Amino acid sequence: MRLIIGGYAQGKLDYALQKYHVDSRNVFDGSIPDRAEVINGTVIINHLNTYIRQSMTDGKSPETEIFDFIDKYPDCVIITDEVGNGIVPIDEFERGFRETIGRIQIELAKMAEEVERVICGIGQKIK
Amino acid sequence: MMILIIGGSSSGKSAFAEDMIVSLSKEKKKYYIATMKVYDAESEKKIERHRILRKGKGFITLEQPVNIQNAIDKIDSRECNALLECISNLTANEMFLGDIPKVADTVAGKIVDGIKQLNDNVSQLVIVSNNVFEDGNVYDSATMEYIKAMGLINEKLGMLADSIIEVVAGIPVYIKDC
Repeated sequence: MRLIIGGYAQGKLDYALQKYHVDSRNVFDGSIPDRAEVINGTVIINHLNTYIRQSMTDGKSPETEIFDFIDKYPDCVIITDEVGNGIVPIDEFERGFRETIGRIQIELAKMAEEVERVICGIGQKIK
Repeated sequence: MMILIIGGSSSGKSAFAEDMIVSLSKEKKKYYIATMKVYDAESEKKIERHRILRKGKGFITLEQPVNIQNAIDKIDSRECNALLECISNLTANEMFLGDIPKVADTVAGKIVDGIKQLNDNVSQLVIVSNNVFEDGNVYDSATMEYIKAMGLINEKLGMLADSIIEVVAGIPVYIKDC
């Protein structure tokens, strides 16, 4: 698994598409696909942050599905927004979201064979 | 020697900082200078999480929510290391101590001065600070002043520090190398 992390609108998906030549049908935005939705080749999960937010809004724990997916597709690319570089939100849900996504990203980074941070469309290999 | 560690919320910066000071210290005595005040169940939970995180690592904990230089009196020799956790709480505590929030320059000046003194009285000082600068939001004037104070402190500590490390998803990114 490869992890791409970076701020909002930094060109993370374009960077990944150029680097990994992924079929656009295998790019899933803010969702974890079922086996039936995936075709042969590398899979990209874009906006994992959106998925985590939705899952938490629905009262579920996002970790299980994410890690199950990686088990099934160990060659996937996961793209996620960096959201922790700000002031602690007043809203309790927002605080919880920031913490959950941070912890998930740490776990993903540990598992990943490569971690890149994208700024201004440029990837910086940090692992 | 001063090492500045910076990262966002839940970036793994504390765990990284603790592991770093443990590996630097070996047989040396090491202090954990805690700055967070308990004011509700959530802060209590946060403090508890950090306690568990550093359990068994052999830290002596000093509570110093304001006047950071006063921690020196509680340290028994210069041959020790200290981990200061963290600048964001220390800054909030100093800034919002009285009825009226203090201005950024005053708060930053006091904290940086206190840290300089602390650094002169320990062997190695590791400081954890926070990246609170990149959410693009515009807040009320007190919060903006707080962000400004944090920026000033990070900038000044950055100049003083021998090394600066940013932690991203638990991974160290070296900003300034010694």
